[in-house]
Amino acid sequence: MATPESKRPTYAAEAIPSDVTTSSFLGNPVLDNVVSCMIAMSAEMWATKRRMKVLEAVLAKSGIAADKIEKYVPTPQETLEWEQDRDRYLDLVVGPLSNAGYRNFSSDFDKR
Amino acid sequence: MIGRRQLLGAATASLALAKVAGVQAAAAAGAVTARGLPAGLPRGADGRLARLATLDLESLQDFTLGFRVLYGKKLRIASAEAFDRLLEKEGIDPTTPMSPHEVAALAEKDPIITVATRTWLANQQVTWKTLQDHFHKYSDHYFSEMEAADNSGPGTLELAPNMTIPDYARHEIHIQPGGYVGDPFAGHVYHYGTNSFYIAVIGHNEQDQVHKGTAERLPVPADGKVKRILDMGCGSGQLTVALKERFPDAEVWGIDVGGPMVRYAHMRSRRLGVGANFAQRLAEDTKFPDNYFDIVTSYIIHHELPQVKTRQVIDEARRVTRSGGVYYPIDFNSGGAKSPPRSMFGRWWDHRWNNEVWSLEYHSLNFTDEIAQRGFGMVKDAKAALPGFGVRHAIKQA
Repeated sequence: MATPESKRPTYAAEAIPSDVTTSSFLGNPVLDNVVSCMIAMSAEMWATKRRMKVLEAVLAKSGIAADKIEKYVPTPQETLEWEQDRDRYLDLVVGPLSNAGYRNFSSDFDKR
Repeated sequence: MIGRRQLLGAATASLALAKVAGVQAAAAAGAVTARGLPAGLPRGADGRLARLATLDLESLQDFTLGFRVLYGKKLRIASAEAFDRLLEKEGIDPTTPMSPHEVAALAEKDPIITVATRTWLANQQVTWKTLQDHFHKYSDHYFSEMEAADNSGPGTLELAPNMTIPDYARHEIHIQPGGYVGDPFAGHVYHYGTNSFYIAVIGHNEQDQVHKGTAERLPVPADGKVKRILDMGCGSGQLTVALKERFPDAEVWGIDVGGPMVRYAHMRSRRLGVGANFAQRLAEDTKFPDNYFDIVTSYIIHHELPQVKTRQVIDEARRVTRSGGVYYPIDFNSGGAKSPPRSMFGRWWDHRWNNEVWSLEYHSLNFTDEIAQRGFGMVKDAKAALPGFGVRHAIKQA
C-alpha cells in the first residue's frame, strides 16, 4: 500500500490488497483498459465542463479573479441544472454500454 | 435530482455553517497552490461537510456520483436483464435457489454483465484514486489537521499504534486502497467516497442525513435511561456524532479497528463541536466494563465480518449492555446460502467485485437468530432504524 512519505505517525497498518485490479472481464485485457480509460477520461472531461460552468457563472456575476472562481458556491438552481446536465452527459457517454447487443456478430446475423 | 441544499434547508445549513465559521474565515485568506493548501478549510464548508479542497477534485467526485446514479438506472438493469436471458437460455427456473458459485459461472458468460462490471469498477477506482492522490499530495496539511485535533476536545481520541490488526479487518473492502487500516487518510477517503454510495443506494448523505435519521429512530430502553452509548465499528464516525447530537448529555463512544478511521472521526466530530469519544478498539474486545452501556449499536459492520467474529461481537455487545438495555445492530437483511438467482447474482457480485470479502458468510447466517440465541430478547414488530435494512431490536435479559 503506497502511503505518503512522512516521518509523522500514520496509525496505518498493512492491508491485504484486493485482486480486483488485476481482473479482466471482457475477454481481452486491452478492452478492459479501454473501458477504464473511457471512464477516467469522462471524469476528467466532466471536471473540465464543471469548471467552465463555475467560470462562466463567476464571470457573469463578479469579474475574473481565479480565487473567486475556486471558491464559488453554486446556487440551488445552478446545482440542480448542473446535476441534470451531468446526468444527460453521462447518459450520452456511458449510456450506450447498456445497449442490448447481446447477439454475437456473425455472417448469419439476422436482418430485421 | 434533488439538490443537497434543498434537502438540507437553508436554516439548518446556516446553523451548521455558523459552527465552522471560524475555520472558514481562516481559509478565506488563501488558495490552493502547487506547494500546499492554506490552513483550515481551503474552500469552506457546505453545511456539515468540509468542501473538498479543490474544485477539480469536487467535480471528479461529482462525476463518480453521477455514474453511480446512471449505473443504478441503466447498467444495473441491463445487467440484470442479461442475467435473466441467460437463465432462459440455460433453461433455469428463475425461482430455483442457486449458490454463489453457480451464479458466478453463469454471469461470466455474458458481455453485457461483464462490461457493466468493468465500468462500475473503473468508476469505483476513479473515486478512490482521485481522493487518495489528493490527500497524499497534501499530506502535510492533512497530517497537521489531525495532529492538532488528536489531543484536544470536545470529545476524546484513543489510538492504539501497537495493536495487532486481525487479518479479517485488513482487506480492501469496497476496493478502497488500503481499506480501513492501510492508509493514513482512510477516514477522509472513506467519508467522501461513500457519498456516492449513499446517493445510489439510500439517498443523500452529504449532511449526514442518513446517519442523523438513523440516530433519531434508534430505540431507547423502556425505562428511558440513556447515559452511555456505544457505536461498534464506527468508521468515519457519522452515526456516533449523530447519536451524541441526539443525546447530548450521554457519554457516547465510537470504536473502530482502523486508527486512521477514528482519527478522522474525532477530528471531524471536534470540528462540528460535538463531544463524542473515539477509540481504536475491536468490536469483539471493546475493553469496556460489564453492563456499561444503555444502548449498543453498530452501523453496517456485520456483513464485513466473518461469522465467527459476528458471534463474538454479539457476545461482547451482551457483556457491555446493561440489563434492560438496547442492542440494535444495523445491517442488511441476511438471506441464506442459496437464494433465487437474481438476488444471489447481486449478492455474489457485491462479494466478488466490490470486495465484500465476508458478505457471503454474513448472508448465510441468520443474524437475527444469532442475536436471539445469545441472551437477548427480540422486540416483536420493531421498527427499522434504517429503512430497507434488517430490523434487530434486542433487549438484554436480566
